[in-house]
Amino acid sequence: MLPRSFKYARPVSLAEASQLLAAHPGARPLAGGQSLLNVMKLRAAEVEALIDISRLEELRFVEITGNGDLEVGAGMRYRELAEHAVVVEHQPLVAEVAGGLVDVQVRTRGTLGGNLCYADPTSNFPPLLVALDATVRVSGIDGPREVPAEDFFVGPFRCDLASGDVVRSVVFPRQAADAGVGYQSLQLARDSWALARASAWVQGNTTIKTARVVLACIGPRPARQRAMEAALVGTAGGEADIAAAVACELQDVDAVGDSHASAEYRTEMARVYAARALRQALVQMTQGDR
Amino acid sequence: MTDPETTHLIEVEINGATHRRAVQARQLLVHFLRDEVVMKGTHIGCDTGNCGACTVLVDGEPTKSCMVLAVQADGTSLTTVEGLSEAGGELTELQQAFNDQHALQCGWCTPGMLIQAKALLERDPDPNVEDIRRALKGNLCRCTGYVNIVRAIQQAAGQEVDAGRPQEVTR
Repeated sequence: MLPRSFKYARPVSLAEASQLLAAHPGARPLAGGQSLLNVMKLRAAEVEALIDISRLEELRFVEITGNGDLEVGAGMRYRELAEHAVVVEHQPLVAEVAGGLVDVQVRTRGTLGGNLCYADPTSNFPPLLVALDATVRVSGIDGPREVPAEDFFVGPFRCDLASGDVVRSVVFPRQAADAGVGYQSLQLARDSWALARASAWVQGNTTIKTARVVLACIGPRPARQRAMEAALVGTAGGEADIAAAVACELQDVDAVGDSHASAEYRTEMARVYAARALRQALVQMTQGDR
Repeated sequence: MTDPETTHLIEVEINGATHRRAVQARQLLVHFLRDEVVMKGTHIGCDTGNCGACTVLVDGEPTKSCMVLAVQADGTSLTTVEGLSEAGGELTELQQAFNDQHALQCGWCTPGMLIQAKALLERDPDPNVEDIRRALKGNLCRCTGYVNIVRAIQQAAGQEVDAGRPQEVTR
């Protein structure tokens, strides 16, 4: 299958990419292309021009900022993230998730930024980013801006970007010694699609002071579960506390059934995996084990 | 500012030889290889990025050439299945292992399997069964069922080939 005819440009800077994207309203940025090109082959997207940002060095970096946060350039590929010593040290789950995406060939080309901008509700990274309270740094023609991950994902295949915008990087806040993070997916097979995902982040010592619980694959976007979070705060995070929390009313959830599983099963499994993600996070929180 | 164009002049090194061509922006790398350079070894299977039959090495990295534009390959160095050994010449150890272990039947997936296996063994010369199976996750075979392909890669790695049932793979 061929995509419809389109134009192509490979700008040499992020600023030029933004100018091109703003000047050509039908243009889209091309990063790894592991989703976009297929969408174009299926003619499900109208694209007049592709602006190839995959070689921009400005998007290909990993660094620790002055206050100890981890900043990852949007152009970093999954395999690079999985193997990057700084990512492995500071956000091991980000590296682990990157190393378990799809297959080797996709991991060698797919990028963090492309994954986020595609905003597939079943995608691996979005719930983890929301749980970690990450910030998406966007470069636009009017200058840079920052969007909390929770606000970045607007709906299925929709994110908070305007014409001329390019995701520059993602900032993961420094993980304190008294914090823990968990990420669990019910997958059809290793590195495969998930029926439900859950990510959890907790902070405290003997009791939980702050909690974030995020469910995915069962709604239009990663869904913060504030009722679960409120139920956890002030507890010691024991099995009874976890069970009570994951039984809370779900928010922002609208599961759809398919040949793999019914909507009810996915929703129930999201609770089960939320409990598992919480246990994983709590072990880290209480043991400082990361 | 470089305005977007529909036609681009690209220069690509394929198995050591340099090729210069004008390509349409919409042309996929796999079509460029098969129809412009007329190297038919790289196969088109699903054309949706699922089957891996079109896998080639781009600057050493295994890549599904149906999910890359030809124009994106500009300035890169490619290895296709034709680059493994001379036509009619001696097979590489990996190719011979595929032959010895009956790791192909219809042959459609074989170019991608060989390239993917080559990439695996270059990074990890001594992979275990799970490493091999996981590395082949993006390469579908609909004849042999993978067991013989895994054995061929074990042979190419100089390992004892599992004669019995395939090991259970953890999810």
